[in-house]
Amino acid sequence: MMKNGFLFFIGLLAAFVFGWGGIALASHLQLGALAPYYDDGEASTFPARPPGLAARGQLVYADLGCASCHTQQVRRPDFGSDKDRGWGERQSVARDYIHQVRPQLGESRTGPDLANLAGRKAPYDGAELTQFLYTGIVPGARVLSHPPYKFLFDDRKIVGEVSAHALALPAGLAPAAGRQIVAGERARTLVAYLQSLNTPYEFPEARPATPAAAAKEGAPK
Amino acid sequence: MSSPSTTAEVTGADTVGRWPLLLLLASGLVWLVLSGVLALIASIQLHSPAFLADCESLTHGRVTSLAETTFIYGWAANTGLGVALWVLGRLGGAPLRALNWAVVGTLFWNAGISLGLVGIATGDATSFALLEMPRYVQPLLVAAYVAIGVSGILAWSGRRTDGTFASQWYAVAALFLFPWLLIAAQTMLLWSPVRGVLQAVVNGWYVQGAFSLWLAPLALAGVYYVVPKATGRTLPSYEFASLSFWTLLFVGSLTGGRHLIGGPVPAWIPTLANAACTMLLFHYAVVALNLRGAFSGGSTALRFISFGLVAYLLGAVLDAVTAFRGVALVTQFTSFATAQQQLALYGGISMFLFGSLYFAVPRLTGRAWASAALLRGHLALASFGVVLLVVTLAAAGWTQGQDLNHAATSFADIAAHTRPWLLGVTAAQGILLLGNLLLLVNFAISVSSVCCSAPAENSFRQPSTMEAHAS
Repeated sequence: MMKNGFLFFIGLLAAFVFGWGGIALASHLQLGALAPYYDDGEASTFPARPPGLAARGQLVYADLGCASCHTQQVRRPDFGSDKDRGWGERQSVARDYIHQVRPQLGESRTGPDLANLAGRKAPYDGAELTQFLYTGIVPGARVLSHPPYKFLFDDRKIVGEVSAHALALPAGLAPAAGRQIVAGERARTLVAYLQSLNTPYEFPEARPATPAAAAKEGAPK
Repeated sequence: MSSPSTTAEVTGADTVGRWPLLLLLASGLVWLVLSGVLALIASIQLHSPAFLADCESLTHGRVTSLAETTFIYGWAANTGLGVALWVLGRLGGAPLRALNWAVVGTLFWNAGISLGLVGIATGDATSFALLEMPRYVQPLLVAAYVAIGVSGILAWSGRRTDGTFASQWYAVAALFLFPWLLIAAQTMLLWSPVRGVLQAVVNGWYVQGAFSLWLAPLALAGVYYVVPKATGRTLPSYEFASLSFWTLLFVGSLTGGRHLIGGPVPAWIPTLANAACTMLLFHYAVVALNLRGAFSGGSTALRFISFGLVAYLLGAVLDAVTAFRGVALVTQFTSFATAQQQLALYGGISMFLFGSLYFAVPRLTGRAWASAALLRGHLALASFGVVLLVVTLAAAGWTQGQDLNHAATSFADIAAHTRPWLLGVTAAQGILLLGNLLLLVNFAISVSSVCCSAPAENSFRQPSTMEAHAS
């Protein structure tokens, strides 16, 4: 086989197709047609489609490379501390992502998971998130915990009224008198995206298969 | 294998291929230094988040992508291709053909990368690991790669020797398979993207495929040629080499799902990866058996290769161990995964490439390396730098992983706990950058001496005069 040129190339191609078929094609056949879940009780399908502003914000999230420090995948409650950290009550499932153009699963947790950011018990509101992007300091804290992305904002002179998108910054960080820090379009769409990250609906496949429930189902009647 | 010590050290294949191949190697070295600068910036940002935060082109995400892209597509690809073509030319028994295609391909490949980097820095990155370059440069990359590869494929199909060698199989596999891999990944991720989490699955397959079907074969092509040449001995246990080769090609890319443990994907994907990682150990064991002669040492090339061999094997063992759920529970999503990646790509692939480069360049230029001191300096800095880099990243990752699993530990505390290790990472990146600068300077002096002085009178030298000894 090694000496026969043609057979060697067939072998190489077979190796490639084996890996491609085994992973890429096989998973596509399994999940490629995954549909939203229709809930009779609520007469609605889940997951909901994200609003347009959030879809644009996802592009900002992607091109700034936020996924290099943040995951968007909650693991099941008995695997890691995801639930205990309040990142989500249930694990993320494939159906959560079907409407996302470019899912940002991520591979690093230098920062917290964001899959369910807007659904957490004590979420930050839009104004706080916007300010956080500018200062890099969590509201109420003192130290820097995130790179301050000031380039997403404009430092502008106040002409007439203060802009509706101007930040209300604390004393130490406020701009000079007569000036304002205004959230640019990218900052606003990014915040809209972050606020859309929510996985409230419990799909059947996301319910944890607890040993107790399994034992109950399997118990002789 | 071949009988090295009797053949002329500078062959016809070398003089014909001199400038096209040196162009590939030089491009690789320039990208290596640039990627070192970018990796240094990225490592500083991990412990000092405000560093260059106001520079939009260098957010941590973008600078990480830039460093990875220059390292893989700039350094490893250019150098690996240069080495693979050189090996195929020499073992084919005839001067390389279609080298004008290779030169044009090299120019367009590097132009494509440059354009891709500008794209990433200005906000066109695709956000897929190892496929960050925007889609408008992707077709160019495929075409340029094929143009470079033609020369190697011709050398293989028109070879004038009876037998074939392991280094030829690996070189041809890398030349032939990467375009297929790249086209498949581009189609499924960029041109007609698959839905939802399937993108992460396909991306994982591509990242692993790029290692198993492309980078590892490129690097192995060089060392399977250099080790018997430099030691003057045939490879032991050579009869297993072909089985090892096919194991890598068939099983390698199946391990791509090991980063998706516990993720929102079908459970069979990480489970398959776990099994495949263990099966793949056969390939690594055979490589170790075949190349163990590298430890007999002596020349600089063998020092780099024996370091690379240890890292290559250790990387495989760590991959297999961390593919188990219990271990992944700590290491997943932390810089431990980065440590594994750097161990494989820097400790394994790059050290193999350094070894082949140190062996090949004197034979391409017809004279020894300009400075033995620079060479020793590079060996010392690169070896120490890789060890420090991998150890500090792994320690930071293990600390981070244990803290992450303890829900009461805040991210501010995790940052404080990992900070000493992350400072070590920055030091390691600085050391590696310095070492690679030494190599670039040495390379520039060695190559420029070919143009600026008369060609060597007698290019048929004894092998011993070609080797700069490390001690």
